[in-house]
Amino acid sequence: MIENLQLGLETALSPTNLLWCFVGVFLGTVIGLLPGLGSATGVAILLPVTLAMEPITALTMLAGIYYGSQYGASTSSILLATPGDSSSVVLTLDGYQMARNGRAGAALAISAISSFVASIITLVGLLLLAQPIAAFALNFGPPENLAIIVLGLATIVTFAGDKVLRGIIMAAVGLLISMVGIAAGFPVARFTFGSVNLLSGFEFVAVMIGLFAIGEVLHQIHRGGEAPIRARFRDLLLTRSELRRSVAPTLRGTATGFGLGVLPGAGATLASFMAYGLEGRVGPNRRKLGSGTVEGVAGPEASNNAAANASFIPTLSLGIPGSGTTAILLGAFVIFGLQPGPLLFEQHPALVWGLLVSFFFGNLLLLVLNLPLAPVFAQVLRLPYSYLYPLILFLGFVGAFAVGNNTFTLWVVLVAGMLGYLMKRFGFPVAPLVLGLVLGPLLERALDQTSSMSGGNLLVVFERPISAVFAVAAILAFVGPPLLKEISRRRAAAANRTPESEDLHA
Amino acid sequence: MAEQAVQPRRTRPTRSDVVGTALLAAIGAAATVLGHGYGMVDDDGHVGAGFLPTVTGAFILVTALAEIARMYLAAPPAGTGSLLEGVDRIEQRAARATAAAHEEQRDTFGRTARQRGRAIVTVFAILLGALLLVPVIGLLLALGAMVLAITLGVERKPVLPAALTTVGVVAAAYLIFVVALGVPTPTGLLGLV
Repeated sequence: MIENLQLGLETALSPTNLLWCFVGVFLGTVIGLLPGLGSATGVAILLPVTLAMEPITALTMLAGIYYGSQYGASTSSILLATPGDSSSVVLTLDGYQMARNGRAGAALAISAISSFVASIITLVGLLLLAQPIAAFALNFGPPENLAIIVLGLATIVTFAGDKVLRGIIMAAVGLLISMVGIAAGFPVARFTFGSVNLLSGFEFVAVMIGLFAIGEVLHQIHRGGEAPIRARFRDLLLTRSELRRSVAPTLRGTATGFGLGVLPGAGATLASFMAYGLEGRVGPNRRKLGSGTVEGVAGPEASNNAAANASFIPTLSLGIPGSGTTAILLGAFVIFGLQPGPLLFEQHPALVWGLLVSFFFGNLLLLVLNLPLAPVFAQVLRLPYSYLYPLILFLGFVGAFAVGNNTFTLWVVLVAGMLGYLMKRFGFPVAPLVLGLVLGPLLERALDQTSSMSGGNLLVVFERPISAVFAVAAILAFVGPPLLKEISRRRAAAANRTPESEDLHA
Repeated sequence: MAEQAVQPRRTRPTRSDVVGTALLAAIGAAATVLGHGYGMVDDDGHVGAGFLPTVTGAFILVTALAEIARMYLAAPPAGTGSLLEGVDRIEQRAARATAAAHEEQRDTFGRTARQRGRAIVTVFAILLGALLLVPVIGLLLALGAMVLAITLGVERKPVLPAALTTVGVVAAAYLIFVVALGVPTPTGLLGLV
């Protein structure tokens, strides 16, 4: 462990990596701030720019954009009630109310401090857990891989809230899109309809840029924007009471976020809502939640940063993305010729540990950038979106071309952009589609290998202990939540009816 | 009578929701049929090229039909007090808070909802036009024309800032992608950049 940390420190502290880490977190903050962007869009757009870099440098920068945007997104939620990223939506409640009550600076300061504390605590968890999980996963064969990928897809159900069926459908659509072209192991071209361009399937980065960048721009034009609340330097000073009240929610949010972030498919957005819900249950100020409380900012903010860090555990250890953005980062690994998963720790220790240690310096830089400079960053919100979005569109198309190197890629971006816009407009979640798209080829490979080793008997996953545990967990994750919800609904309906019946009998 | 009064009322699903989900069901059905044609199992009894497409297509079909049924038949959720239900409630409150803020403050685009709807169509048409222009004037110039068309035509910005923005972004993209990264961007029939 110590040796690994030393190796990580040496890699992360190289001037080049440190510089690009700074660039990543700086850009991440700005990207998170701007309502038309967000971490997934930022990583997708800037991925092509990193192609000429060393893999560790590129991944350090891209990861910096990811966790940097968690900080920035909070600022636009607090000052504008317009979240830069879905994980900061919940801050539009208490964060925005604090700003309306004249405590915008304090809300920004609490947000930065709780984010930092959560990031550092979860980073320790990440360092401690990632390698043992990867080492354990080295024993996995095709059935275990198949079961864990199905579990990754099934977790969407657990956390899709009211949109369970839509989440499942979108994950399946993502799987279907991933099957276009010639699949490894099969000599057949599928869903190409005679097009030579489709033989190698859809370019992953092009689809991501379309779904997130172009789709989000069109969605923003549809929603419109609004003027930000001004935050001043002197407002950043917290009162002693505010600081004291933020400690417990930060710790609760960190634990919630870490627990949820580790699960494939859950992500930072759900973590922030869960943390807010928890504050509504156990927080000492729960009755005032929603009116601009410190607890309503610290808890969710700690939680989404904790989840962002924790989502790297399944991504790096198992090769299964923990969130939409880590799915894109997983794609970046593949573009650089690296296969995330158990072997990554053995084959590329400098890269993995360098990346993990860079999170520490990245978060330190973010605290320095965001605590005193939040009002300065807030000025970015004054950049007219009318000029910004044509530039996002421009960079999106050029970036996609840089990866795909053919004009067909541009059409993929346009169609995916329209699809992304329609999905956002009509309430179909995008993240499950990305997970399906990323997990599709892995699922098919595991399925093919499992079938080959068992002579076509896929039930072999229930005959091996580890794969059986994952398979049963997947079934429970799939069937359990809707079943529990229905039971609770019926109980509640029965409880609602009882007083009425009693009244009638009386 | 009293029991009927406490039953929550079902809401009619919107037409766009039904049409969108029905479209997904159709995609699922098509994928099932096409997937089956690729072969579910090979000669050795192993999983074939059509197995996963068929299973996924059938899954989409069944789930989309279930979603349509849910839209029409499911009763509105009763309060159960679970944490996940709390999450849904918070999500709805956050959406309302965002919407309220939007109503209170002026849209920075200065557009009404109808104008915003028109702007999307125009932007999409400009994007389409730009992509059709790529083989003629090249990628960077076509996308530059797109930026100019949007800032002038959709956003009604003054000519000079719009032109400077366009020149700036084309120059930056040329330096980053063509000079630094060596991306062979198509130059079209013009053959300029």
